[in-house]
Amino acid sequence: MRCEVLFPEVCHLCGDGMNIRYLRQSCEAVEVIETPLNSRPVFLDGGVDLVYLGSATEDGLRRIVASLLPYRQEIEQRIDEGQWMLLTGNALDALGEYVDCDDGWRLDGLGLLPTHAEYHMMDRHNSFFLGTFEDGDFSTEIVGFKSLFGHTYGAGQEDPLFTLVRGVGRYPGCGVEGFRRNHLMATYLTGPLLILNPPFTGWLLRQLGCDGAPAFEEAAMENYRRRLEEFHDLHRDPLY
Amino acid sequence: MRMGKLRFLLALWAAKLSIPALKITRHNGTDFPGFLALKLCPDFLRYAGKPDTVVAVTGTNGKTTVSNMLSDALEALGHRVLTNRAGSNIISGISTAFVRNCDLLGRVRRCDIAVLEVDERSSPRIYPHVKPDLVVLTNLFRDSIMRNAHPYYIADILTRSIPAGAKLILNADDLISCSVCPDNARAYFGVGRMESDVTDCVNLIDDVRICPCCGGKLTYAYRRYHHIGKARCDACGFASPESDYLARQVDLSGRTMTVQEGESSFAYRLSSDSIFNAYNTLSVVAALRQLGYEHEKIVPVLENITVSSSRHSEETVGKVRLIRQMSKEKNALAGSRAFDYIAGRAGRKELLLMMNCLGDTRHWSENTCWIFDADFEFLNDPSIVQIVCAGARCRDYKLRLLMAGVPEDRILCEDDEFRAAERLSYTPGDDVYLLYGTDSLERAYRVYDRMKAYALERAQADEEANA
Repeated sequence: MRCEVLFPEVCHLCGDGMNIRYLRQSCEAVEVIETPLNSRPVFLDGGVDLVYLGSATEDGLRRIVASLLPYRQEIEQRIDEGQWMLLTGNALDALGEYVDCDDGWRLDGLGLLPTHAEYHMMDRHNSFFLGTFEDGDFSTEIVGFKSLFGHTYGAGQEDPLFTLVRGVGRYPGCGVEGFRRNHLMATYLTGPLLILNPPFTGWLLRQLGCDGAPAFEEAAMENYRRRLEEFHDLHRDPLY
Repeated sequence: MRMGKLRFLLALWAAKLSIPALKITRHNGTDFPGFLALKLCPDFLRYAGKPDTVVAVTGTNGKTTVSNMLSDALEALGHRVLTNRAGSNIISGISTAFVRNCDLLGRVRRCDIAVLEVDERSSPRIYPHVKPDLVVLTNLFRDSIMRNAHPYYIADILTRSIPAGAKLILNADDLISCSVCPDNARAYFGVGRMESDVTDCVNLIDDVRICPCCGGKLTYAYRRYHHIGKARCDACGFASPESDYLARQVDLSGRTMTVQEGESSFAYRLSSDSIFNAYNTLSVVAALRQLGYEHEKIVPVLENITVSSSRHSEETVGKVRLIRQMSKEKNALAGSRAFDYIAGRAGRKELLLMMNCLGDTRHWSENTCWIFDADFEFLNDPSIVQIVCAGARCRDYKLRLLMAGVPEDRILCEDDEFRAAERLSYTPGDDVYLLYGTDSLERAYRVYDRMKAYALERAQADEEANA
């Protein structure tokens, strides 16, 4: 199983990189390819099972868009053909329409997701997230964290990745979180999404053709159950 | 202007009156006077008198140590120093320092210099009113992602906030710091190549991988940890700046270093065996040189300064050495540095991890992203024979340790920190570490007391068994 990590030199915030290590520890067959900025992504030519893009700085986002822009049409074609892709944190914004920032900065994205972000640079949003993920007969609860400069707007409730139970969705008041376009999965949840959610990881591994259980399953499940208890506890406010 | 000044004076008097009231109620260490002053006069700092010279100390790590060392040194050199060391480094703490040191007309007469520790994110509220002559920027690393996002965000805030007239003292080994206020006057300090340096990064956090000018790959001539080192871009020629104050022959175990300035070199003593302490001392030397003091005067002054022990202390109790090591919560870099330091020390070690954020435990649920940026891999070392994970996040620590390759039989989990202290082995000859954050300080000290009691019990039991 081949997993392509795009632009690790800028997409390495919030512990995101550990998602891929966890996949590798879960499945011996995982081979990781790292593609640097300004290189042609390997998945465009086939043979890649999962593409991963993690959180970046604002300058990093600009570099991501610049690197991918020449391949925009090919990327869209691969998504429509069913390429598995996972985006965490603000990587989603690189694939959105644009980012507007209250300090005057603006970034035009790739326009592959029908949404735009609004950043407030001195007003950071922090919350925990509790939601559900469904795919056919499979469903599981999802836990995670948001630590971002803003939210993503404009897409309403269409094509979500997760359904909100507690916390904040795409934007305050929205009942869904993230985006799913065919096998492209993009979420604003930052950091170790796969490590915190072993049932979701198990599902993803199966989709990618790996039968193994998530690594350190017992410890991971114990941790997951404890976090679920905390996130369901109504005495805890999801907003920091 | 006149109304503003009048409001300032009323705020000052009210804040001053609160000081004896706080003393009587035993709350004299708080920021309340500054908080009250700001409530009554939001631009209180604008009208407060300032000493002739203002030095600001900022940066991710070391700013408390550096500002305390610098204040102590300046006092030893005959200055009367206005500092915020008794309070916080945000605007209320700094305002409190001015409340305490202004006379009833708002003039600062007792002090001729200010040394202010300034929280980076508070800069936009402080520097418009308190314009520093000198800004010592210790370093910029990842801190809490919740508050500080990433170090480039903080560098941008500093660049927008620090006045054009301030001279910066910067860490030449830290390219993120070096990017701050590119048009301001500046002087650099740095530590020359050390034997333990590497070229490839061994840490998870490596925030300067590409050239800030052209985006090309940076090559490091040497790298100390994370992005600290000497880098060059082969594509465009961009490179780390040369140091005006360069530490050479840094002997951490012997606690000495030589500072080279131009053609001259001077021997300095270090107060501890950590590389961070070498950087802190060097930045103080650089600041004092910029303030006009000769090395011959600085050397003896620094020899007599002791560094606060709230971050690290050691003592022999029974048949083990107990070590308190601060590792700030929600801070991956602090964890990585502490883990690296512990793994690198000689002897067998037992660890109790309690870097949880206690405030979050009660009302929220701590964001644990930092755990996955921290180099727990350093703890996968045969010399670390036992790790007791404690507190609400003990299961997160355990999972992360497993991912780092630590054998499961070395890991114990315990929700209650006091019970965790009981589960350490206290094997004679071991170094037993307690890792704690700033948020858990008070509880950590009580857990440490419990550890002392267990260490003594274990020693007595051993003696009785041997008798």
